Amino acid sequence: MKARIQVLACKACTEMPQLLDMDDLMNVASERELVVSSMLVDRVCDPKIIKRVVAEASERDVDRVLVLACQKKDVNPGLLAAYKRAGVNEFMVEYINLRDEVILPHISDKERAQAKAETKAVAGLERLLMLQPLEKAEEVMRTKNVVILGGGVAGRKAAEVAAAEGAHTIIIEKSGSSHKTPGVIMPNSTLLGAKGYGGNFVLSIKAGEKVEELECAAVVVATGGGWAELKGPLAKAFKSAVPLYRLHEQMQTGAVPKGPVVIVDSPDPAGKTLAVQDFAWDDTLELAIDLKKQQPLEEVYVVFQEMRAFGLSELAYKDAAELGVRFIRYDRAAGPKIDPKEPTKLTVKDLAQAEVLTIPIGTLAFAAIPANKDNIGIATALRIPMSPEGGVRRGSIQRWPVSTPRPGVFVCGSAMFPKSKDMAEAEGEAAGLMAGKFVMKGVIEYGGVVAEVAQEKCSACLTCVRTCPYDAPYIGSAGKVEIRIQACQGCGMCAGICPSKAIELRGSTDDQIAQETRTMLGGDF
Amino acid sequence: MSERKPKVVGFCCEKHGIDSAILAARSGRQYDASVRIIKVPCTGRVDGIHILQALEDGADSVFVLGCLEKNCHYDTGSIEGRKRVEYVKSTLADLGIEKERVEMFNASSTMAWKFPEIVSKMVDVARRLGPIGKAGGDR
Repeated sequence: MKARIQVLACKACTEMPQLLDMDDLMNVASERELVVSSMLVDRVCDPKIIKRVVAEASERDVDRVLVLACQKKDVNPGLLAAYKRAGVNEFMVEYINLRDEVILPHISDKERAQAKAETKAVAGLERLLMLQPLEKAEEVMRTKNVVILGGGVAGRKAAEVAAAEGAHTIIIEKSGSSHKTPGVIMPNSTLLGAKGYGGNFVLSIKAGEKVEELECAAVVVATGGGWAELKGPLAKAFKSAVPLYRLHEQMQTGAVPKGPVVIVDSPDPAGKTLAVQDFAWDDTLELAIDLKKQQPLEEVYVVFQEMRAFGLSELAYKDAAELGVRFIRYDRAAGPKIDPKEPTKLTVKDLAQAEVLTIPIGTLAFAAIPANKDNIGIATALRIPMSPEGGVRRGSIQRWPVSTPRPGVFVCGSAMFPKSKDMAEAEGEAAGLMAGKFVMKGVIEYGGVVAEVAQEKCSACLTCVRTCPYDAPYIGSAGKVEIRIQACQGCGMCAGICPSKAIELRGSTDDQIAQETRTMLGGDF
Repeated sequence: MSERKPKVVGFCCEKHGIDSAILAARSGRQYDASVRIIKVPCTGRVDGIHILQALEDGADSVFVLGCLEKNCHYDTGSIEGRKRVEYVKSTLADLGIEKERVEMFNASSTMAWKFPEIVSKMVDVARRLGPIGKAGGDR
C-alpha cells in the first residue's frame, strides 16, 4: 500500500501567522506526492478541531501525519490518542516544532524563516515516508515485591512508604537485628547476584548458610555509609566529634559551635588515611568561611593531608585564607593525634613548617566518612554504576535524584554519600514512593523506539554489550547479539557505536538521519 | 550578489540539547537562521558517519549538542557522543579538513544562553573557513 499523508498545521500562536506565509507553506506541503489531506487549523489542541481533523484523516484513509506546530509535549495528547483510535500508528505521527525552532529565534528574518520552515516541512515529509509502524508491548510483572537492601533509617522508611503504596516489601539486612517495619525482614543475608530487568528481577540471596532465589519487581539500595558511628583513635579520644554534615546542619539551625573548630579528614582505624571524597574539600571550605563570618574571633583549623580546591573553589580557598582560616597539611606517616588524657588538644606535625603544632579543640568535625564496602558487590550484582568515592551513583539528578540509571533500581541515604539521618529518611521516603509506584503499575511497557540487530552482520565483538548503560544487549544462543527489548530505553548508543553497523535504532536509523541532514542542507536559507 | 549563507548542522539530543534550544527561543534570544537542527534521541546515537556525511552534503560546520556529562538522561550518552566527535576530529586532519569545523558541546535544559552562543561560534567558523576545500584558495 502506498503511503497516505495528512499535513496538519496550527496557527494558534500570534507569531507564526505574522512571520510565515502559512498558505505558501501549506502549498509546498500539499504539492508533495502522497499528501492526500492538508489542513490549516486555528488551534490544534482544541478537542473540536481534533475531532474534525481525525474524521478527515479516517475518511481519506490516512496512515501517517505531519504536525506543524509546537514540540510534541506541548500539543494536546488527545490528538495522538484520537489518531490512534482512527488507526494511525502513534510512531507515524511526526511533530515539527516550527514555533520554537524557526519562528521565535528568527523573528527579524522573515525570508529565511519561511525558507527554513518549508525545508523543515519537506524533510518531515521525507522522514515520514521512511518510518515504520512500531508497536508497544506490555509484560506483566510477576510479583509486587520491592527488595530493600539494608534496614537502616533510609531502608526502613522506604519499606514503610512502599508498603503503603501496596507493594510487598522485603528488607535484606546484613546484621541479625530486626526492626518493626511492614513486610518481611531477612536477617543475616546478602545479595549475591541479579538477573532480569526492572519489573522482573530474579535476585540470588545468601540467607544464613542457604542461597535463595527471590523474584522482585524493584530494588532499593539503602546500604548506608561505611560508618554508622565515627571510628578511629581521634573519635575515641574526643568523644563529641561530629561528621561535617552534622556540623553544617547544626549551624543551619542557628547553633553556635563551641570554642575553636577543628576540621580533619578522617584517619581510619588502621592508621592509614582514607581517600577524601571530592565534595569534602568544597564542603569544608564553605563551612570554614561560614564559621569565620559568624565568629571572626574564634579560630578555625583545617587539618588535612592535602587540600584541593579546583576551579572556582580556588576563590573559596582564597576567601577562607583571607578570613583567617588556618590550613595545616600533615604527613600520612604522622597523622594528627589526641592524647585521651588531655582531649582538648590536638598535636600534628605541619608539613610546611616542619614543626609539631598543638591546637586547642572546641569542636571536632570529620570531613571524610568512608563509603560502604558492600557497595562494590551490590553494584556488580545489579550492574549499576558507582561514584569515584565508592558510593552508588544516581542517574541524572534533575530527573531522578533517588534513581540509578537502571530502571527499577532506586538508591537512597548514605549509600550515595555520607548524609544525616533526616536527609537519609527523606530520601528513603522518596525512593520507597518511586519503587512502590513503579511496582504498582503492574506491567512493564516496552517496545516502540528500541534497538534492532541484523544478526548476519554481527561479529559478536561485545562493543554494544559494554556500552549500553541498561544492559540490554547480550550474546544470544546463536553467538550473536540480541536485545532485551524490555530493558532497552531507546537511546541508540549501541547503534552509534556498532563497528559492523549491525544495530539500528527504530525510528532513528542511519538512513533517516542522513536523509534529514541532506534535505535540510539542500534548503537555501 | 548577496553574501553566501553558511550552512551549519547541529545534531541535538532530544533531551537537554533540544530543550536548551527551545528555552533559548522562548526567552526571546535570536540566532542565525543557517543552523539546521537534526534531532537525535541521544548524542550517543550520533555516529562519525553522520557528521562526515553532513560535511559531504555541504555543511560548513557541524556541532553535536548533548546533556551535561554528569547529568545525561541516558547516563553515559553525552560522554559517548564526545568520543565519536573526538574521533571524527582526529580523522579530519587526514582528510585535509580543518578540525574546527566539528565540535561537541554540552548544555543543560536550563541554559538559555548556551544555544545562541554555540550557533554564533559555529557560524563564525563556517564564515571564516568558507566551503570545504575552497578556503582562501590555498588548496
